[in-house]
Amino acid sequence: MKTAQANPTRIAERNSSRPGIRLLKQMAKRYDLYLMLLLPVVWYLIFHYGPLYGLQIAFKNFNPAKGIVGSSWAGFEHFERFFNSYYFGRLLWNTMSINLFSLLIAFPIPILLALIINEIPSKAFGKWLQNITYLPHFISIVVIVGMLKLFLSPKGGPINGLIEAFGGEPIRFLEEAGWFKTIFIGSNIWQNMGWQSIIYIAALSGVNPQLYEAAKMDGASRLRRIWHVSLPGIVPVIVILLILDIGHFMNIGFEKVLLMQNNLNLESSDVISTFVYTTGILKGEYSYTAAIGLFNSIINLALLLLVNRIARKTSETSLW
Amino acid sequence: MRHKRGKLTISTMMAISLAIAGCSNADEGTNAAANNEAASEGENAKATVSTSGFPIVQEPISFTMFARIAPVNGPFKDMPVFQDYEKLSNIKAEFTEVPTDGFQEKKNLLFASNELPDVLFRAGLTPLETIRYGTAGQLLPLENLIGEYAPNFKQLMDAYPEIRSAITTPEGHIYALPTIVTLGAARTDKKWINQAWLKKLNLQEPQTTEDLYNVLVAFRDKDPNGNGKPDEIPMTARASSGPGLGLPVVNMMSGSFGLDNQLGYNINLADGKVEIWMGNDRNKELLQYLNKLYSEKLLDPEVFSQKEAEYLAKQGSGNTGFFFDQTNNPFLPIADQYTGIAPLEGPHGDRLQSQGAPVPRDFGSFAIASVNEHPEAALRWVDYFYGEEGSTLLRFGREGEHYELKDGIPYYTEQFLQSGNQAKITPYAGGGAPHLISDKVASFINPPQVQEAQKKLDPYMPEIRYAAPMFDEETARKVDVLRNDIDKYYEEQSTKFIAGAIGFEKWDEFQATLKKMGLEDLQQIYQTAYDAMEK
Repeated sequence: MKTAQANPTRIAERNSSRPGIRLLKQMAKRYDLYLMLLLPVVWYLIFHYGPLYGLQIAFKNFNPAKGIVGSSWAGFEHFERFFNSYYFGRLLWNTMSINLFSLLIAFPIPILLALIINEIPSKAFGKWLQNITYLPHFISIVVIVGMLKLFLSPKGGPINGLIEAFGGEPIRFLEEAGWFKTIFIGSNIWQNMGWQSIIYIAALSGVNPQLYEAAKMDGASRLRRIWHVSLPGIVPVIVILLILDIGHFMNIGFEKVLLMQNNLNLESSDVISTFVYTTGILKGEYSYTAAIGLFNSIINLALLLLVNRIARKTSETSLW
Repeated sequence: MRHKRGKLTISTMMAISLAIAGCSNADEGTNAAANNEAASEGENAKATVSTSGFPIVQEPISFTMFARIAPVNGPFKDMPVFQDYEKLSNIKAEFTEVPTDGFQEKKNLLFASNELPDVLFRAGLTPLETIRYGTAGQLLPLENLIGEYAPNFKQLMDAYPEIRSAITTPEGHIYALPTIVTLGAARTDKKWINQAWLKKLNLQEPQTTEDLYNVLVAFRDKDPNGNGKPDEIPMTARASSGPGLGLPVVNMMSGSFGLDNQLGYNINLADGKVEIWMGNDRNKELLQYLNKLYSEKLLDPEVFSQKEAEYLAKQGSGNTGFFFDQTNNPFLPIADQYTGIAPLEGPHGDRLQSQGAPVPRDFGSFAIASVNEHPEAALRWVDYFYGEEGSTLLRFGREGEHYELKDGIPYYTEQFLQSGNQAKITPYAGGGAPHLISDKVASFINPPQVQEAQKKLDPYMPEIRYAAPMFDEETARKVDVLRNDIDKYYEEQSTKFIAGAIGFEKWDEFQATLKKMGLEDLQQIYQTAYDAMEK
């Protein structure tokens, strides 16, 4: 890439000769740059593309003693079993809905936070607010779930204490299917909004101050300035982050869901990744769950391509 | 792992020596001699596994062992049983200790990656796992070795024919050895009730499910612990130990509603017919009863979520009215407060101790991987624990230091018990270690109080307790697929019925879904297996 950009004129000059030879000649000339490129390419081949051959167990009856290649073929049996399973609809709905709600609610919040921090006139207070909001990001998920259990406990938890003080009945938050998604997404926002806003704050600081001055001269109010200067300034960043988020749309925080899961909220907490864990790892059904995992990844890829296409058409900002 | 590395080192050495030999002829003779020597050494080690007496091997050997370690245990290498037995047998056990939490995961990854240890100790393999990994060739079939190298185990198999049928696959292979429990009291959970509270409130021991309900209401309302606060827990039970592993509170109470636990599953046997009772009318009554207890706050609201340690702490607190456990060990300091009661009589006159395990209690406690180079020695190593001498060593440690003999029966010394290290020195604490539990070695888990509690259960035990059947590979796969869906669904819905998260107007839907998931196919498979067993 870099070499190509470095001498576009030269390439244009030689476009009459055959492309393969041209590339080789160019590579020989810039061998040092290509040597640097070699390392990441090898890394990707070995650690990212190499293991892909293991995906074939989704179409086989995997037998560890015979190995991946030696196991017998099963065709689409595992996919059919999953599509016909009682849990298929529920898993798909839970996985999609948790992510969809996360995207709708949790995605805009860091942007709002960044805009607020950007508008605070006192630099010191802004920094302080930023630190306070991004600190929870460093708490481990196990601790977060432990805190949730304590805070939401029906016996002596502060939230239920408050409800009881106002004469309400304590709610078993973590054991009611109806509450699961709210608690999951809400605590995610609390934990991650500060961290995710950092990148927007950085983008905002790159907006030309003259634009704000000009807007001020024209008599634009504070909200107007945010709407017409700040937001357009960070739209490319927002779109790229949105596309990246969509890229792992189907992979929600597996550990957190698993830790919060119990038989009473399974109705809304059973997602594809935890199902793969409990069936595949705990019960040893590797082929079946590899098929489910593959299905999950295909949906992911499709969504990513779709959103990228929409973004390219509408905002001229896209990944490729 | 170790063996692989060993092989790698040897082959590297051989490659190097070949290269050197190629360069200079003078070295050739010595290298060949060295190679010959190494080969004959290997032969010797194999040949000298003695079939009786100790040491088991003349030249010391060692095995890598993958083992589960319970939270109450100390490190295995510090346990007197393994230290002393290493000297006695000349076999060193190198343990990889994996905690109970996450053990299932580590075990399956071990097989999936095919990097196996020599021995799986206290492995808790399920019948389905043994069949899967056995037919894959990862576990060694032991049936031909048992006769010669496992005399103690052989003797037990002859004395209790149900052991053989419980561990032999239809093809005739034995891939794993179970924990053998000839002591009846170690196969059931007793029903412990707080007799101090009964006395204080002037109540009788409950005889029926209705009595129990009234007693629990009194426990809840009449402040039996006398602190003026409604903090008593009238009834509690273990939480499920994992998805698909059963709901203990259901299993403990099902006998009062005529629901047995045969063939290692929710199965009633009558006139040679297998009935999986999940979803039938009695099952509904049972869940309705538990729902009543739960909704009136008689049943501990944490009964589905509490950790093992929390449950044991509740037993020891003395603030619990009614619960289930095999022994009185978790509440030993306040044991006088409690007494065991008989199963409760249900609304249709059923009175059955349905919960209980067969003589081969813990399936798949011990298995030998096919990478093991001295399977005979490994089998003889574990066989010692299936005799009373070995079992005493495993459970009680050293005579004088940890235990003393009274009338030929080992008892922990008072001094050692006071140290509080009882569960640290023995791998039996926490369950599932491959050995024999007979009345000879059970002074600690079976004191008079537990014996009395067991006596109350005895008249209500089923005549025969059938263990889970072994299926052939094809059938095992089918059962696997069916039960993965059915068990998960059954447990989740039962929990919701009990907790009131769904109402009983959904019962028909529940039945229909179970049917759709293939409950009848599953019943047919168990019927076939049962018929084969009876022939």
